Amino acid sequence: MKFGIYLPPKAETAKCPVLYWLSGLTCTEQNFITKAGFHQAAAEHGLIVVAPDTSPRGCNIEGEDESWDFGTGAGFYVDATEDPWKTNYRMYSYIKDELPKLINANFPTDPERMSIFGHSMGGHGALILALKNPGKYKSVSAFAPICNPIQCEWGKKALGGYLGSDAYDATQLVKSYPNSHLDILIDQGKDDQFLSAGQLLPDNFIAACTEQKIPVVFRLQQASCFCSP
Amino acid sequence: MSSRSGSAREYETSDRSPGLSAFPPVPESSESEAEGLIFYHMDLYGSKERFDIFPKELTGQEDRSLGDTRKESALSSEKFQRAQEAGYDLEKEVAELAKMYGLDEDREKELELLGGHLEMVESRWPPARTEKVGSQGSIYNASKSSSPMKDQSQSTKQQGLPGEASQDEEENKARAEDKAESHIGSGEGLSSSGMSDEWNSQAVSEEEAADIFCSTCKMPIRAFDKLFGEHKDHEVAQLPSALESEKEEIHKNMCKLEEQIAQMENFASHLEEIFITVEENFGRQEQNFEVHYNDAVQVLAQKYEEQLEALGEEKRQKLEALYGQLVSCGEHLDTCKELTDATQELYLENDKASFMKAAVTMVDRLEEFLKKEVDLELSTLPDFEERVIDFSEVEQLMNSINTIPAPCAPVINPQAPNTATGTSLRVCWGLFSDDTVECYQLCYKPVSNERSSDEQAAPSPPTIKNKKIRSCENAALVCWESRDINPVDSYTVELSKLTDEENGDTITESIVGIPNCEVLIHLQPTQSYRICIRALNLGGSSERSEPVLIHTTGTYFCLNEDTAHPLLAILDDGFTIACDELENPECDLPVYDNSFTRCIGILGSLIPFPGKHYWEVEVEEDTEYRIGVAFENTPRHGYLGANNSSWCMRHIITPSRHKYEFLHSGMTPDIRITIPPRRIGILLDYENCRLSFFNADIAQHLYAFNSHFQHYVHPCFALETPGILRIHTGIAIPPWTALP
Repeated sequence: MKFGIYLPPKAETAKCPVLYWLSGLTCTEQNFITKAGFHQAAAEHGLIVVAPDTSPRGCNIEGEDESWDFGTGAGFYVDATEDPWKTNYRMYSYIKDELPKLINANFPTDPERMSIFGHSMGGHGALILALKNPGKYKSVSAFAPICNPIQCEWGKKALGGYLGSDAYDATQLVKSYPNSHLDILIDQGKDDQFLSAGQLLPDNFIAACTEQKIPVVFRLQQASCFCSP
Repeated sequence: MSSRSGSAREYETSDRSPGLSAFPPVPESSESEAEGLIFYHMDLYGSKERFDIFPKELTGQEDRSLGDTRKESALSSEKFQRAQEAGYDLEKEVAELAKMYGLDEDREKELELLGGHLEMVESRWPPARTEKVGSQGSIYNASKSSSPMKDQSQSTKQQGLPGEASQDEEENKARAEDKAESHIGSGEGLSSSGMSDEWNSQAVSEEEAADIFCSTCKMPIRAFDKLFGEHKDHEVAQLPSALESEKEEIHKNMCKLEEQIAQMENFASHLEEIFITVEENFGRQEQNFEVHYNDAVQVLAQKYEEQLEALGEEKRQKLEALYGQLVSCGEHLDTCKELTDATQELYLENDKASFMKAAVTMVDRLEEFLKKEVDLELSTLPDFEERVIDFSEVEQLMNSINTIPAPCAPVINPQAPNTATGTSLRVCWGLFSDDTVECYQLCYKPVSNERSSDEQAAPSPPTIKNKKIRSCENAALVCWESRDINPVDSYTVELSKLTDEENGDTITESIVGIPNCEVLIHLQPTQSYRICIRALNLGGSSERSEPVLIHTTGTYFCLNEDTAHPLLAILDDGFTIACDELENPECDLPVYDNSFTRCIGILGSLIPFPGKHYWEVEVEEDTEYRIGVAFENTPRHGYLGANNSSWCMRHIITPSRHKYEFLHSGMTPDIRITIPPRRIGILLDYENCRLSFFNADIAQHLYAFNSHFQHYVHPCFALETPGILRIHTGIAIPPWTALP
């Protein structure tokens, strides 16, 4: 598995907190590193940024390259339980355990300070990882996340394919989230085509959070383009 | 000559003195001499490095010269010239060569290499140098013409000097030396002594070299010559000691030279300053002149206008008079005509009786009419008065152009702490930069502290306006009032820092000479201070006012009651605002000039301290409010956040949910917040141009405005439904508000 990592100047002399970025559908570990332009901000704040890939590649699983929203480039950050995916498609464990272990062992990280953020499918990944691991991440932010996958087309396809359950749905998870401190920030483009297509469903998530009293600040921005960052 | 030119460039770029940079006009043949002189410059300016430089230069030159000397078996005069141009470098090279080749072993070879010029050089150089050295003092002041003559005589003295080239060279060198400033010459002299050191050491080891100094001829000679040559009867001295005394003399002159250099440098920098002063004075004069000129022109224009107007007036009057005359003329003519017509008509009357009747009347009428005087005189002359513009005022102005206006009264600074002792006092004052001041006159008189019957009574202590105090971590703004029949000249603030030890009455600082009833004091963070005020006049100082306590933790402000909307009530603690009913926000209740009329709001006091400030507002779940900051001039008829002079967070309740807006210029981002905050933290950061809002209970960042605040702002608060807002100040900035 490939990942991209940015080390700020501060990392030369001190341990830095780590920010994990999860990319969306069809992305690789390159998209964020190459296109986002986060480097200056990360340098200023002394943050290490890690951008993993969105799925395992070259697994030779039949059908893995058939669609852009399922299989290669669409890991959905879950541990698949169904064949033929369950051997290779374990993105959830990868992001939760394997990758941090690797990063902490090889780079000057402060293992106590970790946060997670992502876009779209990555936003979904960030939310579920944070919600399923209370206290592990200091903050979670999501850009146009898929908030309620079991209710939208993408989610139904992916989660149906990888899993049998809804254990990886942010909106569902929120409903049973223990009252532990979590700071969630979500940004969503107003004219996002996928918002209007009902793929993202942030309202469901917000309603659930409101009910559960999970602090979220959700910003509807003027952006219309759903470009990968 | 590359390194030479290098140093030439170096020399040209230095701005030591303008004179030197004008050096280039030098006879062509002495291009090399320029270089040689440059060398001397470097030599001079660093007295400590004088001798160090020589070897460096030497090594730079050495390779080349060695190459030269090796390549050519015989030194042509041209080559010698060049070698000469290298100046004493050749001497150095010689010394080095000698060392390299071993004096005893290869003396012959060496001589051969240098084409036998070594001897010539040896014998020639010192006389030239020492002669020069001897006349060092005179070169300072001598004109350029004098030295060459000496040189001429020198060259004739020289013995065994073959070739014109060398002689010319000598003269050129001398001339060049003379042309240079005196210190150059002495540099040369110095180098010569340095050279002669090496030369000397070399000479000593040479069997055939001169080793005695003939004081009479002022040249080194061989012992042999003394015994058998022309120097037989001359006074001689051992070369080393002669050397020493020469060196001493050179050294003395060098010192004098250094002094001169220092003097000249000082003078040069002084001149530079004077340049600036001249410019300044010019500027001032120019301005002065311009002002006067403008004044004069203005007066002139004014006079012209006046006269023109008077002229016009005169014309008008004349015309009016004439017109009047014309009119009465016309009237008269009319009457005449009328009479004539009537008379003519009369004649047409055939009836004799009627005729007679009418005729008689007519005649009377005519007679009557003709009695009137006919004025045929012009009421006014067509000529105009002579007018002259009075230039006297302008003249006066022009004449006063050179008078220097008297300076404005200087302003004495208030007495600063620690400027007075029992017997002395330090007084500082400020000057208006436009004024030309020659000197100041300080007048003082002791003022008695005792109250005497015919002097003023000391004032009574002022009262600090407790509720109007504003403070932050670094400063406090305190104001007070003094209701006193006695006049007050100034106020003194006394403040003492409260420590954990006994509540001592020790004053740690006092600020005197405060003219108004307000002061901004700089304080240390996270401390407590007790502050009181005294009023002063000629009669003395008042008692201390009641003290106030100021804590420099967080930012502290209070509410401006006179900005409150009539329906907004401020509760007793001064930090809770409430609104009971909303029936008619634009009601008929009395409205102050400064209060909000539509928005049920209130402003806090201005926060006039740079840096970061934090306060909290406690709200109820169902309170609809607007809280934020605003400029002083935010329209009182407007709503907070609806204009560009206010920023606020707004909470309204819709049937479905809590709605939050962050308003500025009427615009808000679309934001959902899942947990309605009950305690809102507001961070005002003037420095980073940011106003941030937090849910203080869960340390959640809600939103931040990024706006460059051009003025200081007031906190602002408003209610949109009946409810209560509690404001908390004096809170230290929580760490979680820092930029994530």
